[in-house]
Amino acid sequence: MALHYSDFSWLSLLILLLPFCAALTLATSSAMARWIALVTHLVVLLISIGLAIDFDASLLGFQYVEKSLWIATLNIHYFLGVDGISILFLPATALLFTAVTLASWNSIQTMQRLYFSLLLILEATILGVFSALDTIFFMLFWEATLIPLYFLISLWGVGANRRYVGVKYVLLMMGGGLPILFAFVLLAIQGDGSYIFDYTKLVEIARSNQYQSIIFFLLLFGFGVKIPLFPLHTWLPVLAQEGHPATIATVVGLKLGAYGLLRFVVPLAPDAAHSFQDLMIGLGIIGVIYGGVAALSQTNLRRMLAFSSLSHVGMIVLGIATLSQQGIQGAVFQLLNLTMLAGGLFLLIGFLHQRIGSTDIISLGGVAKTMPLLSAFFFFLGLANMSVPGTATFPAELLIIISVLDSYAGVGLATLFGVILGAAYFLGIYRKAFLGECRSEIVAEAVDLQTRELLIIFVMSAIILLVGLYPQMILDTMRTATDAWVELLQP
Amino acid sequence: MMMLNWSIALIPLLPLLAALWIAIGFIFGWNRHEKGEKETAVVSLYAIGISFLLVIGLDVAAVSGVLPTEVRLGTWLSSGRYHINIGFLFDTLSLTMATLVGFITLIVTKFSIDYLHREAGFQRFFMMLSVFNAAMLLIVLASNAALTFIAWELAGVSSFLLIAYSWHRDVATGNAVRAFVSNRMGDAGFILAIAFSFFWLGTVEWSEMPIMIKENNISTLYVGVIILGFMTAAFAKSAQFPFSAWITRALEGPTPSSAVFYGSLMVHAGVYLLLRLAPLLSVEPALLIIIMLVGIITAAYGYVVGLVQTDVKSSFMFSTLAQVGLMLVWIGNGWFTLSLIHLVLHAIWRAYQFLHAPSFLQHAQQPARPVPQWLHRDTWLYNAALHRFWLDGISDWLLTKPTHALAHEAQLFDEQVIDRLTGIQSHANMLSTLSCWEAQQANKVALVDEIGKGNGIFGAFMQVAAAAMHWFEEKLVLRGSGEGLLTLLNYLGKYLENIDKLLMQPRYLLVLIMVTIVIIL
Repeated sequence: MALHYSDFSWLSLLILLLPFCAALTLATSSAMARWIALVTHLVVLLISIGLAIDFDASLLGFQYVEKSLWIATLNIHYFLGVDGISILFLPATALLFTAVTLASWNSIQTMQRLYFSLLLILEATILGVFSALDTIFFMLFWEATLIPLYFLISLWGVGANRRYVGVKYVLLMMGGGLPILFAFVLLAIQGDGSYIFDYTKLVEIARSNQYQSIIFFLLLFGFGVKIPLFPLHTWLPVLAQEGHPATIATVVGLKLGAYGLLRFVVPLAPDAAHSFQDLMIGLGIIGVIYGGVAALSQTNLRRMLAFSSLSHVGMIVLGIATLSQQGIQGAVFQLLNLTMLAGGLFLLIGFLHQRIGSTDIISLGGVAKTMPLLSAFFFFLGLANMSVPGTATFPAELLIIISVLDSYAGVGLATLFGVILGAAYFLGIYRKAFLGECRSEIVAEAVDLQTRELLIIFVMSAIILLVGLYPQMILDTMRTATDAWVELLQP
Repeated sequence: MMMLNWSIALIPLLPLLAALWIAIGFIFGWNRHEKGEKETAVVSLYAIGISFLLVIGLDVAAVSGVLPTEVRLGTWLSSGRYHINIGFLFDTLSLTMATLVGFITLIVTKFSIDYLHREAGFQRFFMMLSVFNAAMLLIVLASNAALTFIAWELAGVSSFLLIAYSWHRDVATGNAVRAFVSNRMGDAGFILAIAFSFFWLGTVEWSEMPIMIKENNISTLYVGVIILGFMTAAFAKSAQFPFSAWITRALEGPTPSSAVFYGSLMVHAGVYLLLRLAPLLSVEPALLIIIMLVGIITAAYGYVVGLVQTDVKSSFMFSTLAQVGLMLVWIGNGWFTLSLIHLVLHAIWRAYQFLHAPSFLQHAQQPARPVPQWLHRDTWLYNAALHRFWLDGISDWLLTKPTHALAHEAQLFDEQVIDRLTGIQSHANMLSTLSCWEAQQANKVALVDEIGKGNGIFGAFMQVAAAAMHWFEEKLVLRGSGEGLLTLLNYLGKYLENIDKLLMQPRYLLVLIMVTIVIIL
């Protein structure tokens, strides 16, 4: 696989700048802290947009590569780079974190300095996950995401059991991390004499490995916890209910598990992926239907969104599992969309929660009366959630559905049922929570979105709309990379 | 040529931009309240007015023979061998429909300006009306199925919002959700048809589809499946049997929207789709019979139910259904031109009638006709007509209720089984907010600290191992009795009985059938 080095180590700059500024944030006053954090996020956003524009979509392989020896005896490298699949995740991540920082501007009352610096660190680790090309180096970032998340959930959560959920989340994710690490070690010792942790090399020799099935299952289980695959999904609704909505926006918006599935699981065990294709398809469709059905009976907006996210990620797993060009393009496209969509929805829920103090239907109703803009944007993002044409999710889901119908017609039909469910659960709960008569005094006295909140949600909605009207620009960026991905799998 | 391309693209784009302009204006607050009414009205009226003039211009160009029948502006989406173009068709059917749509939407927009004066949702109404105008123009002009589908859905969304126009009323919002979800089922058929056209014909361009069928000798079975998908979508949109129930629920919206959506334009979109498929329909004549049957049933249904309606809008609605049913009968007989003429005349007449609906009785100057004698005598038919042949109830019983019951059980399953297996307990003993927690604290109910305990499979495994050791020592070594085992078996028996009971429910049969279909295909 071709590696294109750049003159300046841009990716390192991104990843190192963030924790440096996090330290700076801790050292200043509370009032200054959030400004420093915001400026840092904006700088990272600008740099990553620049990288995405400068990215040459026609080149095969990784760009902005940086590689130097890190642990010589084990042959582990400091190895960063992005290809057409991962490049767009950098600006998406940066934008989401900028939005989260702005959204938490006033809603975080305690330990502000710590909160904003943890967000910076979390962004650094997530950017690392998207750009690390050495398996151990990737593992470092993968596990490191848990540290800021643990504190973000258990210190600033809104639920009564946030500490319990924080501990459980971290334990579960570490439980998922072990099989991944084990699989990486198994892969590394297949070379004669020297260890191989280099992702690009591993992909090239993946075919010759005889233990592909073992590696496939280890990785599938490990990433499956994070995706989450049914029945490992229970942490998601609980987390959505207990954590601070702004924090949850990053967890639900950035689906690292699904990224792992398409970056590591399938390319590192291609033959096994072919033999266990039915299993992956099955897990995907169960996710789509189960998530949709369970979302129908939710009485809390946050839990509904969590199950809806389960349904969406099931669709992405389906797309990856078809191992076809349309499927993978749809999956990457949809992953990018969800950063804006799921992130945006959770941020809006956060605004609502800050005003009402609850997101249970029982304490809502008639929200559209006092908060027309909030309701309108929630509805627009909801349209995207049910992949209505004109929003970015439609072309992505169309590609996935077409690819699934092509190879598994029955599953395709079931997916379409999932799409109908998507309309039913969202509109059902929207009607009860946002429309109808005002029942509670708190709702009757609440104020609509303020300029800062409006700005965040306007930008995110505009992106969803523009990409939905002209989706080809996203597909053009990833085409070379996804074609190479599919080619790798050709028997 | 460039000039022509631009002006073509502007036809559906102008109303869409008007909608965006109104939305942005509302967000930033410059057109809110009554003082913004004028600007809103002018923007949407001018947008649709210019679009209509452009359509007239195209008509003139087409008559003088300078207009190509198809114009392609670019690619909307391309992935591998699948391409979706941005293109427009200008054959007789498209131009006729576009002129009709432009004319009626222009009139309705003009009418609504005074009708909705000082209504709270003035801006919202005109935004949605503009989206609908754009969508309707795009439906009839789009050169391929995918682009038509995009517009098809946009029309559906704007119809949802207009039915739920008075959003504080539960009935209105409930009906809106119902209508949208019913339409969504038809949309599933549309997506299927698009996907299968890609697989078997390699194209979704309306003009290329019949050519591909002829050139590649596609089996009539495949063509049948594709048409069946489009037909489902057309029946759902035109509220034909068995989808008829949703349309009367749709009358909740303001009168101009009822006129434009269900009286004259959107309800005819299904007929347009079938007319568009005319070259394909001749390949598979068996389907014509289905169309004719559906048309006859709907026409009879609309006629009989229409006789017993007691309000003006509903009786208009059912006579619309009957007329649309007749159009399908013409299509079923292969009289496509007759169907198109019927469509145009009916649309204009019905738009006029619906706009008059609020003052109709005054204009008519005579009381409504009583129910005819023959219907009086047949009590069963009378009853059935009054209940609109129970279509709503049947779909409720067949689809909505089982799905909701299933949803409830999925939730229970999550809490009772999966949560316990994986070790995160969520709903049962968790509170959603801190304020609930405070309330609970005030009642001195202590929350058990769950962290120290082992949950889930792994946690339980450790706990069980520890407990087993303990039990072994306590019971077997010290006492030696089988008491504990007996309680365990009793406990298990109760669970199994519950599962047995659940399996008797009909919805599991449905699920089982679905699973079988998934596995077989």
